[in-house]
Amino acid sequence: MNRDEELKRLLGPAPRRPITRRDALRRLGIGAGGMSVAAFLAACGVSGEAESDKEAAAPDELTTTKSNGELNFANWPAYIDKAGGGSPTLDEFEKATGISVGYKEVISDNLEFYATIREPLASDQATQWDLIVVTDWLINKMATLGYLEELDHSKIPNFRANAGAIHKSPSYDPDNTHSVPWQSGITGIAYNTDLTGGDITSVEAFFDPEFKGKVSMLTEMRDTMGLTLLGMGIKPEDATIEDARAAQEKLIEQRDSGILRQYNGNNYLQGLVAGDFAVCMAWSGDVIGKTFSANPKIKFSVPDEGGLLFTDCMAIPQDAVNPIDAMEMMNFVYQPDIAAQMVAWINYISPVPAAQSILQKAKDSYTKQVADSPLVFPTPDMESNLYNYKNFSIEEEEEWNDLFNEVLSG
Amino acid sequence: MREAKPSRPPVRRARRALIPYLLTFPGVLWLALFFAAPLVFTLLFTFYEGSLDFGYSFTSSWPSTYLEAFRQYDTQIVRSLIYGVIVTVATLVISYPMMYWIAMRGGRRKNLYLLLILLPFFTPFLIRTLSWQFVLADEGILLGTLKNVGILSDDFRLLATPVAVLSGVTYNFLPFMALPLYVALEKLDLALLDAAADLYSSKTQAFLKVTLPLSLPGVFAGSLLTFIPTVGDFIDSQLLGGTNTTMIGNVVVRELLVNGDYPTGTALSFILIAGILIGVFFYARALGTEELTG
Repeated sequence: MNRDEELKRLLGPAPRRPITRRDALRRLGIGAGGMSVAAFLAACGVSGEAESDKEAAAPDELTTTKSNGELNFANWPAYIDKAGGGSPTLDEFEKATGISVGYKEVISDNLEFYATIREPLASDQATQWDLIVVTDWLINKMATLGYLEELDHSKIPNFRANAGAIHKSPSYDPDNTHSVPWQSGITGIAYNTDLTGGDITSVEAFFDPEFKGKVSMLTEMRDTMGLTLLGMGIKPEDATIEDARAAQEKLIEQRDSGILRQYNGNNYLQGLVAGDFAVCMAWSGDVIGKTFSANPKIKFSVPDEGGLLFTDCMAIPQDAVNPIDAMEMMNFVYQPDIAAQMVAWINYISPVPAAQSILQKAKDSYTKQVADSPLVFPTPDMESNLYNYKNFSIEEEEEWNDLFNEVLSG
Repeated sequence: MREAKPSRPPVRRARRALIPYLLTFPGVLWLALFFAAPLVFTLLFTFYEGSLDFGYSFTSSWPSTYLEAFRQYDTQIVRSLIYGVIVTVATLVISYPMMYWIAMRGGRRKNLYLLLILLPFFTPFLIRTLSWQFVLADEGILLGTLKNVGILSDDFRLLATPVAVLSGVTYNFLPFMALPLYVALEKLDLALLDAAADLYSSKTQAFLKVTLPLSLPGVFAGSLLTFIPTVGDFIDSQLLGGTNTTMIGNVVVRELLVNGDYPTGTALSFILIAGILIGVFFYARALGTEELTG
C-alpha cells in the first residue's frame, strides 16, 4: 500500500478530461501525421452520406447473448488503479470472470477518440472496442445518433443496487439506457491562498478586479460557459441562447479588462502552484491530490452558486463483438470494494457511495483524507449544489461553440 | 543492316532525354504522395460543409466558408503575419552579428561555436518552451528576484503578454535564420574585402557594398525559414501567451481538433498559405533575388 501511495504522490493526481491543451500539443507535436490522416480519411469516407435518418435508427439486437471471454476496453490514461505495472481491479476481474481484458489507454480527448470510431459507427460496422469511457455529453450525442447499444440491466444488478442517487437516470441518459458512470468530477474553483489571502467561495472571484491578471479559465466551452451561467444564477441545463449571449458578454468583458490572464486546459496546476494564477477554474480530481499530499496552500472549492458535475460513462458501441463481457465489467466495478480500490487511486467521484465506509477503515492518512472528502464522496449538501452540463442539440452546440470561440480567440 | 544503323541514334537520344525525368521521378513521386495529395485533400475539404456527426457533403456555397472564416478570424490572421515579420527581423538582428563574428573571426573554433548555438535546440521544442514558463513565472527565478529587490512592481508580468510570445518564437526559430546566414557568410571570398580595402573603401563601406549584398541570399533563405513557421506557430502562443495573443495556428487547431469544423479549419489554412505567398512574393521582389522569383 505504501509504495502505491508513494507512486501516486510522484505521479500526481489522475489526469483526465475532455480536451486539454496538453493533449492538443501532444497530438500535434508528436502525432501530427497520424491525426490528420485519420481525421481526414474518416471524414472523406463518409462525405455526402445522408445520415439524418440515423436519428430514427431502432436499437438492434446485440451481436451475441453469451460471454466470449474477451473484452476490448478503451479508457483514459491513469483512470484506473495501478500497482506494479498492472491494475489490481483488472487482475481481479480476469480472475473472477475468466474474461481476458485488452485494456488500452487510448482516450486523451473525447472528440479525438470519437473521430476514430465515428466512421465504422456511421456505416453500421463494429468498432474495435467493446467498452468505452467518454464524458456524459458525448454519451448523449452518441445515443441520439444510435451509436450505442442498449444495456441489459438484468446483467448489471450491482449498478441498481450500489450506484449513488445522482448517478441514476441522469439527464444525459435517462434510465441509464445506454451507459453507467465510471467516475465523476466537479468543475469548480482552485485557488492559491498565498495570493487570495483567504477562501474563495464564489464564481464572482473570476470577475473580481482584485485578482486582475491572475485568473485562469478553462478552454472547455461546457465548463467555462456553465460555471459563468451558474454565477449569473442560471442553471446551465435551462440556459437559452440569450443566456449564452449574456455569459459571452461577461466573459469578453473579463478578458478585455485584463482580469483574465489565460484560458487553460489541464495545465493550470503548475501556474497555480508557481503563483501565476490566484484563482483557476479547475477539475476537482486534479487539485485534490495536491491538497492532500504536499501543498496545503492549493485549495479547491465548489462555489456557493453551484459547481458543475461531469460524469465519464461506460458504454458499449453499436455492434460491439463482446457486449456481454462489457456488461460483466460494468457489473464488476459496481462492487463497493472494487469501487473503493479504484477511487482511492483516482481521486475523482466514485459512483458507489458505499466505497466511502470501506476507505474510512484504511490506516494511512492519504486514503482517510480521500474517504472523508466531500469532493470525492459528495455529501447531500454538496450534491444539491451540483449541476449538469447542458445537453445540446447539434445546432445549439454549434451556436454555443461559435459564441465561445469568439471569447477564446481574443 | 546498313539501313538500320541511322535509326539508332535517335532512339538513344530519346532515351538519354528521358534520363533526367527518370532521375527526378522518385522526387516527384515523393512530392506527389506527401505534398500534393494531402494538399489537394485539404483543399477539397474547404468545398464541403457539415459536421463530424452528420458527415460532410459538397456545397456550392463554399466561397462563403472562406469569407466567413476570414471575417471571423481576420484579427488573428493579421496578428500572425505581423508576428511573423517582427520575429523575422528580430532573429535577423540577433543572429547576423553572431554569425558574422563566427564566420569571420571564428578561426579554428568555428564548429564549436556553431555547436554551442545549436546545443539548446537538441532539446524538444515543447520542453524548451515549457521551461520558459518556469523562468518567466510571475514569482519565478527571474521576475520574483527582480520584484523582491524592488526593481519591478509587484504586478509586473511577462507571461501571457505579446512580449513573451514574440520572445518565445524568436528564441525557438533562431537557428533557422542563423544557419543559412552562416553558410552565406562563410563562403564569402575574403579576397574581395582585401580588394575593397585596396580601392580605398572604409570598413563600413566594404561591409555595405561587399559583405551585405553577398550575404543577401542567406538573409532571404533565413527569412523564409523563420517567417513561414512563425506565422503558423501555435505552441508559443498557447504556453506563453494570454488572451490577446491568439495566433491563427491556435484557431486552426481548435477548429480541427475541438470543434471538428474541418471546412473552416482548412479554409483558414489556405487563407494563411495565400497570405504567406503574397508576403514572400513581395519580399523576394524587394530583395531582388531573381533566382527565386524567376
